[in-house]
Amino acid sequence: MRRILAGAAIAGALAAAVAAMLRWRLGPLRTRRGVAAVKLAVRGGVRYAGSAPRLFAAAGENRERLRNDLALQTAEDIADTLGAMKGVLMKLGQMASYLDDGLSPAVRRTLSRLQDSVPPMSAELAAGVVTEELGLPPERAFARWDPAPIAAASIGQVHRAITHDGRAVAVKVQYPGIAESMAADLDNVALLRRMLRVTAPSQDVDALVTELRDRVLEELDYHREAENQRLFAAYYDGHPTIHVPAILGELSARRVVTSELAGGARFAELASWPQEERNLAAETIYRFVFRSLYDAHAFNGDPHPGNYLFHGGGRVTFLDFGLVKHFTDVELQPLIAMVRNLCVENDPGAFRRAMEDAGFLMRGAPLSTEVVVDHMAVFYQLVRESAPLTITGDYASTVVRRFFDLRSPVAAYVAIPRSYVILQRINLGLFALLGELNATANWRAVAEEIWPFVRGPAATPMGEAEAAWRATRPAAMRQAAGPPVRPARG
Amino acid sequence: MTADSYAAAAGLVERSAAAYVSGVPDSPADDGFFGPGSVTWRVSTDLARPVAGLRALLMQALHPLAMAGVDQHSGWRQDPVGRLAATSAYLATISFGDRAAAERAAARVRRIHEHVSGVDAITGSPYQASDPALLLWVHVALVESSIEAGRLFGTPVSAEDGDRYVAEMVVAAELVGVPRDQVPSSLAALGGYIASARPELRCTPAASESMAYLLDPPGLADDLAEIWADVRDGAVAALPAWAREMYGYSLPEPLTPARQTEIRQALGVLDAVFLGEPGVLEARQRITLRMRAARRG
Repeated sequence: MRRILAGAAIAGALAAAVAAMLRWRLGPLRTRRGVAAVKLAVRGGVRYAGSAPRLFAAAGENRERLRNDLALQTAEDIADTLGAMKGVLMKLGQMASYLDDGLSPAVRRTLSRLQDSVPPMSAELAAGVVTEELGLPPERAFARWDPAPIAAASIGQVHRAITHDGRAVAVKVQYPGIAESMAADLDNVALLRRMLRVTAPSQDVDALVTELRDRVLEELDYHREAENQRLFAAYYDGHPTIHVPAILGELSARRVVTSELAGGARFAELASWPQEERNLAAETIYRFVFRSLYDAHAFNGDPHPGNYLFHGGGRVTFLDFGLVKHFTDVELQPLIAMVRNLCVENDPGAFRRAMEDAGFLMRGAPLSTEVVVDHMAVFYQLVRESAPLTITGDYASTVVRRFFDLRSPVAAYVAIPRSYVILQRINLGLFALLGELNATANWRAVAEEIWPFVRGPAATPMGEAEAAWRATRPAAMRQAAGPPVRPARG
Repeated sequence: MTADSYAAAAGLVERSAAAYVSGVPDSPADDGFFGPGSVTWRVSTDLARPVAGLRALLMQALHPLAMAGVDQHSGWRQDPVGRLAATSAYLATISFGDRAAAERAAARVRRIHEHVSGVDAITGSPYQASDPALLLWVHVALVESSIEAGRLFGTPVSAEDGDRYVAEMVVAAELVGVPRDQVPSSLAALGGYIASARPELRCTPAASESMAYLLDPPGLADDLAEIWADVRDGAVAALPAWAREMYGYSLPEPLTPARQTEIRQALGVLDAVFLGEPGVLEARQRITLRMRAARRG
């Protein structure tokens, strides 16, 4: 019974997440059919993950051998395991795995293990991909190559290696054929479009399908990921607490990306660290997210707990830049206007107009501005008052629930325009993450350091260190001056 | 009787999954009648299996006497899902079980068949479930449906492997009591047999009602019902045109490559749901490990 309830809870959360990602005008009744399809999809994905580790656990000491025997050996094995929508399901599960909508920790763990349910590639299959991509077999492309993967990655796995000039690196290798099959699954309408074949005007549905497709397709192209990671690494070069591993371009290609190997503690280990350490880690993550947005005009849209490594003293390594959204000034301005008018200028009318300008709120919605502000305020609660504030798991859940609350009188008139879909994703993911850390800080004071319309003084020791770092940076890296590089869209 | 007199289909996935798991042994004494290197194992693990199963039922039901036996004896109307689950368990045991398990399961089926006889109300013909002619039709419908479903929605088998599969499956017919020399053992013989059986086929009310139930089972959860609709479209599209005409089904929509992909994707989702049922992934892994071992030689 518990399993059923947990499954239902996840299904609900993920359905809601997808509903939001692929936001159409939500009419509770009209979307039922679409949501049902998503729920089923999710139920499938979740159960798949939930049952996967059992054989391994039961196998005891034979576990490694068994895992090895089950390794994906051929492109056909991969198609059987991840083809026909299953890879896409896992991707959706992964996207939702950091959302906390009343999920138990056990269920969240299950979701975050989704990728682990796929066996690794055999050493030969992985070596074959490296050979095709780099033109040399891995043991020649690298001075040393560890044929056993150290981690599962999104649609691939990570191997350790040492380059010919002696650098320890992490080499992410993509499952062969997966990009084509997931692209076909995303492309060929079917389930995705059925989820969306709701009531919105078809061009809206198309735009939203396109956004989801574009983002996932970008993740399938490691060139793109390398480009993004390079951008972030350059931007944060020398930062006192933020570290982005360098990319080794000559050892990267479409299905292989090589970066400097980073150590550090995993997110799960952070639970046993002192609260002070957790607060510092949270402050760094917060700074990373909003510096990236306001200064670099880029947003890493994958706040998956597995994408951080912690080193103590607030130092954090950020991994996985597969899902990055770049913003133009035009896209960013309304966000700035919203937070500014609500939190700094205290001008609810202007806040509402900014929401309407951004397309978040339908113009002329028959709602009082008080109701709108009341609905939205929870999202800004962190930064409305300058005072220390603890982000509890409850608070994070409240935010997520409010976001997905279809019964709210406001729900019928709000929408997430395509450009902001990814932003919402990380926003909610960020709340969930900081909630899990139970992090305390004066978030408002930190935000004021970053807000381009305030540029407040350093609010914390980390802020002082960051200010010192910023003083050494070229002006172009310091100002909110448009994205440093906009990789060609492909 | 109308379709309303059938019990609801709730539990379809859960019970089919449990049945499947029960047929895949932990530690088989031998490789059974087919073995992990067989085409039968490959076909039996194909993504298109649900379409194959549903199409097989649609074909089988067109034999009035086979249908009458099921309709009048098997508890089909009281518990259709249970009846389907029993068939799934039987097929899994025959395919993946060791020889002793397969023979036990087949002996049980033969015993049950001995007590199934009667007169079909529509044709007025007497029938015996143990009649090799009926059993052969049921067998052939399954074999041919597996090939067709795989061809359209799964991993198609080559003509050579198709012949091998038909030949391998002869033993399955023998197990339920069809003399070996009556069973088609090549694709050509399979096609010939179906053509020769066509004059006996017709859509009786029992067939029409039963299949209406299967095509749109009441009581399925909404989400599952949506996926089932695709499986159904796949099965109906995979039927020969003459069988669709007997039922009076129209082709749901042209089976374009895009539509085939959609159905495949729905099958993938169904597969993921199925894999999440207790024991299914483990059963699959047992099968995969044995197939891998066979592949290594």
